[in-house]
Amino acid sequence: MALLSNEDREYLKGLFTGMKRDVNIMLFTTEEKNFCSFCNDIKEILEELKSLSDKIKTHEYSFEKDKSIADEYSVKRGPALVLKADKDLGIKYYGIPAGYEFSSLVEDIVDIGNDTISVDESLVEKVKSIDVPVHLQVFVTHTCPYCPPAVRTAHKFAMLNENIKADMIDSNTFYEYANSYGVQGVPRVVINEKHHFEGALPEEEYLKQILNAIM
Amino acid sequence: MLQLKMAKQEEKTKNKSFDLVIIGGGPAGLTAGIYAGRARIKTAIIEEMIAGGQSATTEHLENYPGFKNGVGGVELAMMMEEQAKKFGTEVIYDSVVSAKLEGEEKEIHLASSVIKAKSVIIATGATPRRIKAEGSEKFHGKGISYCATCDGALFRDKKIVIVGAGNSAIEEGIFMQRFSDDITFVQDLPYLTAEKILQERIKSYPKTKFYLGAIVKSINGNDKVESVTIKVAKDGSEIDIPADGVFVYIGYSPKTGFFGKELKLNEQGYIPTDENLKTNLDGVYAAGDVRVKDFRQVITAAADGAIAAHSVEKYLENK
Ligand SMILES: Cc1cc2nc3c(=O)[nH]c(=O)nc-3n(C[C@H](O)[C@H](O)[C@H](O)COP(=O)(O)OP(=O)(O)OC[C@H]3O[C@@H](n4cnc5c(N)ncnc54)[C@H](O)[C@@H]3O)c2cc1C
Repeated sequence: MALLSNEDREYLKGLFTGMKRDVNIMLFTTEEKNFCSFCNDIKEILEELKSLSDKIKTHEYSFEKDKSIADEYSVKRGPALVLKADKDLGIKYYGIPAGYEFSSLVEDIVDIGNDTISVDESLVEKVKSIDVPVHLQVFVTHTCPYCPPAVRTAHKFAMLNENIKADMIDSNTFYEYANSYGVQGVPRVVINEKHHFEGALPEEEYLKQILNAIM
Repeated sequence: MLQLKMAKQEEKTKNKSFDLVIIGGGPAGLTAGIYAGRARIKTAIIEEMIAGGQSATTEHLENYPGFKNGVGGVELAMMMEEQAKKFGTEVIYDSVVSAKLEGEEKEIHLASSVIKAKSVIIATGATPRRIKAEGSEKFHGKGISYCATCDGALFRDKKIVIVGAGNSAIEEGIFMQRFSDDITFVQDLPYLTAEKILQERIKSYPKTKFYLGAIVKSINGNDKVESVTIKVAKDGSEIDIPADGVFVYIGYSPKTGFFGKELKLNEQGYIPTDENLKTNLDGVYAAGDVRVKDFRQVITAAADGAIAAHSVEKYLENK
């Protein structure tokens, strides 16, 4: 059964029209069955997305069997999605981007495909000037309407600056992992393992949190 | 079954003008958008989060007419959004930061642009009222939550305290049973205030506990919530309830803080209207939870949206 309605498909087709560069979506499945209960769905979603634009390319790997590729992209667990142009942009999804996070995936694809910078102009230079490694982990659930902006801001920052790596983490799939960070409310953004904040902050405040964390 | 939800953004609107701007895309705003679109009024809905508002944070609506088995909050909202768009209403995903509502031409200020409108419907709804008790600030987002749909899954098999026992509290308590059966309700009033059918249902979960006529005095713990201390009104006694998570449903505050003084509000910040839902300002109407009224539901918000759009139609005709 198709996961997207005809209307959605038409909408997405329009949205993806005119993208100027390839968007590569790398899926890492895992042999850990209870983590991968939605893996077949994500494969299906990717197939559908691919059929909507010739710029969207999908690649399937196994987290366990294709370890060297997983390592190359610093994939730490499966299932995971890595989104990249020809080069790695530091954008990941751990657990599948379903529910509200499907919006994040679609918007990421559009930004990458059009090579657009959608961070507010006044902040672009500040984001670019970060010269130390920043790792953003955005903990979400699929049923949280407040979460996609937190994921998107992290991903947009990553697109701007290769020092920034940004992961969405589905706290439901990676329950133990989320627990190890004491996540009790989503979205929670963890910066470089140590610092964190809750809630979907506007870009400017978000950036301030990052700058404070790396000071 | 896997659900995919998508906020569908129109092309970026910059400095456009509309006959009607609806602020807020909850049930009230979306319904106003349906009616206005059908009246061929050039309309935009501005929504800062996702269509559906509070109803999108509700797993399941059981009392919206026409769905005898209930309908998902998000699902209903997405259908309303599609319906509004079908009739030509635009949906713009952005935040309204301020508005100039006096005079013939209204200005709706977004973060980086201004939209002009001949008329405005305010449908910004409400947000959960924060709990005020010792320790409550410290644990915001770290054990205290206002959205069981968002955060419930983080509390598998944990001890849950739900503050409040009205409709939302009990509904969300029923929803939370899928994650944990250790749920305790605390409410200041000495009786349950939820609909009878919800009361019956929550009581069918044998492990659920109730402290009625008690207030939350403090929320305690070091790094995370460990317990909730309540004070029983009757005899002043204090009870410590072990808790990992506290879900709060103690009422709502209207989202009207960003409007200027020209718009009349009541003491709690709700917007008073006449029966056509007109505010104190010409060409400005209010619909849904944001206005002064007794019963705040999806159906009453939707009804308000229809009435407000109808009033706008008449207002624009007579200009
Ligand atoms: C947990 C819970 C359970 C509920 N269960 C039920 C139920 O079972 N049945 C029922 O009928 N009702 C239920 N309700 C109540 C129902 O959801 C509300 O009455 C209804 O959603 C009100 O609709 P509204 O359009 O007036 O406001 P809202 O739903 O609050 O929508 C307002 C919208 O405006 C947007 N907004 C606000 N400010 C701005 C701004 N400055 N710029 C742009 N956008 C803005 C918000 O993002 C929001 O989307 C429940 C509510 C909750 C919280």
